[in-house]
Amino acid sequence: MIQFQHVFKSYGQGANILADINFDITPGEFVFVSGPSGAGKSTLLKLIGGLEAPTRGSVIVKGQRMDQIGQRARPYLRRAVGVILQNMHLLYDRSAFENVMLPLAVIGLSSDKAAARARAAIQKVGLSGKERLNPIALSGGEQQRLAIARAIVNKPSILIADEPTANLDQASAQKILEVFRDFNRVGVTTLIASHDLELLRRHANRTLLIEPGRFRDLGKNT
Amino acid sequence: MKTWIRHHFYAMHIAIRRLLSTPFSSLTNIVVIALVLALPLLASSILASMEPVARTVSVNPAITLFMKGNVPLAEPRDRGERLQQENAAIIDKLEVIDKNEALAGLRASESWSNALKVLPRNPLPNSIIVTIKETENRANKAQELAQEWSNLENVDTVQFDSAWVQKLEAILSFTRGVLLLLAIGVAVVVIGTVFNTVRMQALVQREEIAVARLVGATESFVRRPFLYLGALTGLVAGVLSILLTTFGLGSLNGAIARLSESYGTDFVIRLPDAIWLGTAIVLVMIIAALAAQWSMTRNSRF
Repeated sequence: MIQFQHVFKSYGQGANILADINFDITPGEFVFVSGPSGAGKSTLLKLIGGLEAPTRGSVIVKGQRMDQIGQRARPYLRRAVGVILQNMHLLYDRSAFENVMLPLAVIGLSSDKAAARARAAIQKVGLSGKERLNPIALSGGEQQRLAIARAIVNKPSILIADEPTANLDQASAQKILEVFRDFNRVGVTTLIASHDLELLRRHANRTLLIEPGRFRDLGKNT
Repeated sequence: MKTWIRHHFYAMHIAIRRLLSTPFSSLTNIVVIALVLALPLLASSILASMEPVARTVSVNPAITLFMKGNVPLAEPRDRGERLQQENAAIIDKLEVIDKNEALAGLRASESWSNALKVLPRNPLPNSIIVTIKETENRANKAQELAQEWSNLENVDTVQFDSAWVQKLEAILSFTRGVLLLLAIGVAVVVIGTVFNTVRMQALVQREEIAVARLVGATESFVRRPFLYLGALTGLVAGVLSILLTTFGLGSLNGAIARLSESYGTDFVIRLPDAIWLGTAIVLVMIIAALAAQWSMTRNSRF
């Protein structure tokens, strides 16, 4: 499903943020990407989401090399990857419901079907009854869940989230992780970047550890 | 196909929402474009109203050949027939005027009858009036003929005042030139205004554009609302400019009507026909949409 083959990434003339990264993620896996701040976790997720291009090596997502995919085809691959960035990028000039409707407008779904699917996504993340609220009126955890609803509304086969539990209390973080678990149970390949070691211990899974100058695949149940 | 239509409806919806979300700014842009558009529209109205008048006048440039006083009527009749044969391609109408009939006509006129009574004999010569066909460069052609005919035997004087025809044509040509310059000026203002509006919109909507790309929007999807924004601005500004020009012509025509009445005519300035106006609005919409696309391409590289 996701393959990294000798991937290097640097910005400008700077040092490599990622150096010779190799791993393979099979469909339906639940993977944590861990490491200290600034180690390159976000960059790794962005490479998978097609938001960044590798400096060297190949990133293969769903059988397609991201560095070789054309500019026109790239958006269509992005629809298969639900992305939740650290800054959730919610739109504060519209309601929670309209935020979730945006990806459906992108694929041109009819308004009836889109509304039904958006409601279902909102319900899945536990935000029913808050559709009409502006995201600014939601708590941090609820905003995170809204971002998840927007990421999953197009039924992606891969879900990537960058520090989704950062700045959340333990109970809220737990709920968010449960939401990801639910999607993973129905076959969605899930990658979560987090530096929260406590969270990793509680939800032991396959973990990819990125440290400055070093990459380790810790495998499952570490 | 349905998806394509839905995308366009969505883009239109977003464009209208963006226009309405900044009503003062949108209105200011529209009024600026409308005022600038009103200038060539007014000039076109004047030109379109003048051209039929000019055509009516210039369709009949006439050359009058006054024969020498002692030349009998048979001579201009004969000369007229020859001129008609030699210049059939350019002569529209040729009329030989008998000097006695001409005098009788003048005597019938109240203002001339008293003056003519004191004359011992008919002072008028026999004459030929030649009307030139409406062709390209007719003024110059008529000038050449007048020059040539002035040397004919038994012809005393040839009268052809071509200067006013040439002046009128020069004025119309000048007005067309001014109109072209105004149209170019309008295009520049439309492009500038819409480009800047879309640039500001792209910056304001930066987050939305980024999110749309994140969830798999194509560049066409991202740009389309801005295209509609430009086209809608052009449409509303075009309609407003027609209303402004109609209002302006209403008051201008009042003064023109009083002036033309004193000359015994009923000249009024009218807007160009609906097809012309429709084409002009569509052109403005296309220019505005292209300006929006250009601005969007330049200002959304983030």
